[in-house]
Amino acid sequence: MNRREVLLAGAAMSLASSPLMGTRAFAQAGAEIPIGVIWPLSGPSAQIGVDAKHALETAAEIVNGSFDIDVPTAKNAGLAGLGNARIKLIFADHQGDPQKGRAEAERLITQDKVVALVGAFHSSVSATVSASCERYGIPYLAADSSSPSLHRRNLKFFFRAAAHDEMFSGGMFDFLDAQKKAGKKIETVGLFFEDTIFGTDSSNVQRKLAADRGYKVVADIKYRSNSPSLTSEVQQIKSADPDVLLPSSYTTDSILLMKTMDELGYKPKNLVAQAAGFADKATFDAVGDKLAGLISRASFSIDMAAKRPSVAKVNEMFKARANRDLNDNTSRQLTSILVLADAIDRAKSTDGEKIRAALAATDTPGEKTIMPWKRIKFGEDGQNVDADPVLIQYIGGKFVTVYPENVAIATAKWPMNG
Amino acid sequence: MTTQAFLQVLASGILIGLIYALIAVGLSLIFGLMDVVNFAHGEFLMLAMYAMFGLVLVTAIDPVLLMPIVVGIMFVVGVSAYAGVIRFAMRAKANPGMVQIFATFGLALVIQGLAQYFFTPDYRNIGNSWLGGKTLNLGGVFLPWPQIYGGVISLLAFGGLYLLITRTDFGKALEATREDQGAVALVGIDRNRVFALGWGLGAALVGLSGAVLAVFYYIYPQVGGPFALIAYVTVALGGFGSIFGALVAGLIVGVVEALTALILPPALKSVGVYSLYLAVLFVRPSGLFGRL
Repeated sequence: MNRREVLLAGAAMSLASSPLMGTRAFAQAGAEIPIGVIWPLSGPSAQIGVDAKHALETAAEIVNGSFDIDVPTAKNAGLAGLGNARIKLIFADHQGDPQKGRAEAERLITQDKVVALVGAFHSSVSATVSASCERYGIPYLAADSSSPSLHRRNLKFFFRAAAHDEMFSGGMFDFLDAQKKAGKKIETVGLFFEDTIFGTDSSNVQRKLAADRGYKVVADIKYRSNSPSLTSEVQQIKSADPDVLLPSSYTTDSILLMKTMDELGYKPKNLVAQAAGFADKATFDAVGDKLAGLISRASFSIDMAAKRPSVAKVNEMFKARANRDLNDNTSRQLTSILVLADAIDRAKSTDGEKIRAALAATDTPGEKTIMPWKRIKFGEDGQNVDADPVLIQYIGGKFVTVYPENVAIATAKWPMNG
Repeated sequence: MTTQAFLQVLASGILIGLIYALIAVGLSLIFGLMDVVNFAHGEFLMLAMYAMFGLVLVTAIDPVLLMPIVVGIMFVVGVSAYAGVIRFAMRAKANPGMVQIFATFGLALVIQGLAQYFFTPDYRNIGNSWLGGKTLNLGGVFLPWPQIYGGVISLLAFGGLYLLITRTDFGKALEATREDQGAVALVGIDRNRVFALGWGLGAALVGLSGAVLAVFYYIYPQVGGPFALIAYVTVALGGFGSIFGALVAGLIVGVVEALTALILPPALKSVGVYSLYLAVLFVRPSGLFGRL
C-alpha cells in the first residue's frame, strides 16, 4: 500500500464511521450540560470559594440525582426537559480580581462552551463577568454578589434571585425604626466599610437611608481591605461611639475589626452587619466570643428547617460535604444552581437566548425554595424583587431569626451588650 | 480629636512598627549579605505562623514557650531554601538578578500553593494564650499585651543581632562575606556555608516575628502578602542591608501609617508611607542608613 492508498483508506474509514461518531457526540452533549461557576478558590477569600464549591456540588447532586425534596428539578434524575441530561459544573478561580474573573469567564464561554455562568461572591467580579456574558449572549446568575449597581446596567442576560444591598439595608433600617418605636434610643449610626464596590455601594445606600429616616451618621469610615492593622480606624469609631455600628466587611477585616475593638477596650453598643465576613464561620471561630448579640442581614435562616422540611434535608446533604451548616452565602450559591437548572429544564435547550427567556419566565413560589423568600420572579432588570431579607442575631453560639416578625422565632436582644 | 486618641494611635503605631521592623530585618540581612531579594519572605512569615498554630494545637503549650521551637524550625526552612533553591539560582551565568528574583518568586508560589492544599484556606486563630486578649490600660491609652510582648521581643532580637554581628566570629564572617565574596575564600571562609547560615538567620528572624504575630493575628495561606509588601518598603526606606535602618524604618512606617489613617480617609492610609518612600528614593536613593 502506498501513501496515497493509506490516505484514501483513512478518509474512507472516517467517512464510514462518521455518522456513528456523530450520534455518540450528540448523546454525550445531551448527557452533560456544562455550567461555568466562578468563585475565589484561592487568594484572601479562598475559604468562601471552597464553601461555595461544596454548596454548588450539593446543588448539582440534587439536580442530577433523584431526591424527595420539594425544590425544582430534585424529583427526577437529571433534567427531564432535556432527556434526563445531567448538569456538569466547570469551576474557575478569580482570586477576587475582576480582571482575572473576566479572563476566566471568556475561557469558560469560548473553550468549555458553558451554557450559562454563575458567580462570584465579589460584586466587583460579578460586574466584569456579567459584562462578558452579555457580549456572548450567555445568561449570568449573580448568586451571592449584592451590590445594587449590578442590575442597573441594562444587561439582558443578568439575573439575581437574591436580594441586593438596598433591600438588605432597607430591612436593617426598618428594624431600627421598629426598635425606636418600641422605645429604644437609636439616634446615631456609624458606617465602616471596605474600599471595593461591595463596601462603597453598601455604605452609599446606608448613608442615604440614614439621612431619609433621621439617623445621624457620626462615623463614616472607608478603610483599605486586608490591612495589617485597623487601630486608627477603630480609634475613630471609638471616639464617635455610635448607637449602631454598620460594618460592610469581608472575613479577614471582620476578624481584625473585632480583635482591634477588643484590644482598644471598646464595646460597640450595637452591631448590625452587612453579612459577608459576619456570615462566615471562620469569623465566629476566631472571635465568636466578642460577637454575642451581633445582628446580621441574611438571605437564609437555618431555623426555618422546623417549618420547611426541604431546608433540613438540603442542609444535611451540604453538611455531609462541607462539615458545616448552610449559611447566608452557601444557601444563595446552592439556590442559584437550582434556579438555573430549572430554567434550562423548562427551556428544553442549551441555547443562551432560550435559557434567558426561560429564566425571565421563572415564577417559583417561596415554599419551593430553601430561602425565606416570597417567590422567585425576575423583573425587567433581572432582579428578583420578592427576595425578602431577614435579620439574624448571634445568641448563645448560634444564629436565630429576629426580623421580620412573620419569620422571627425570637425577639431581638437590644442593646446587644445590655 | 483628643490628645488621648492621638496618643493611642501613636502608641499603636510604635508597637506595630516594631513588628514591621522585625519582619523586615531578615529580608534586609539576606539582601545585604548576597544581593538577593527574597520574594518568599511573606511566605516564610506565613509558615512560621502555621508552625506556631500547629504546635499550640498539638502540644497545648503556651505560644510564648513554643517560640524558640518555631524559630528553630524556620532556621532549618531558611537553610533548606538556600541549599535547595537559591544556591542553584546563584549559579546562573546569564542575567543572574532575574533568575534569583524568579527563583524566590517561584518558591513563594509553591509554598503558598502547598499551604492552601495542606492547611486549607480556612482562617486559623490561636484561641487561648497567656497574653491573648489582655490589654494594658495606661490612662485611657490601651496597649494589648501580645503587642507589647511583640515589641519587647523585637527590641531584644535587634540587640541580639547587633551583638551577634559585632562580637562573634560568625558575625565577622558575615560582614566579611558581604564586603567581598571572593576574598573571603582566600582566608578560608566557606562562602556557601555563610550564605546558608545567613538564610537560616534571616528566616529565623521572620520566624520570630511570625511566632509573635500568630498570638494576635489571624492565620491563612495569604497572610504574608500585606506584611511582605510593608517589609519591602521598610527595607528600601531604611537602606538595603542595614539592620539599624530596618529598625528605624519599621518604626517610621508604623507611626506614619497610623497617623495617616487618622488625618486622611483610612482607605488612603498607605499614601503616607509610600509618599515618604518616594521622597527618600528621590533625595537619598540608598535609603536612610544604606551604604550602597
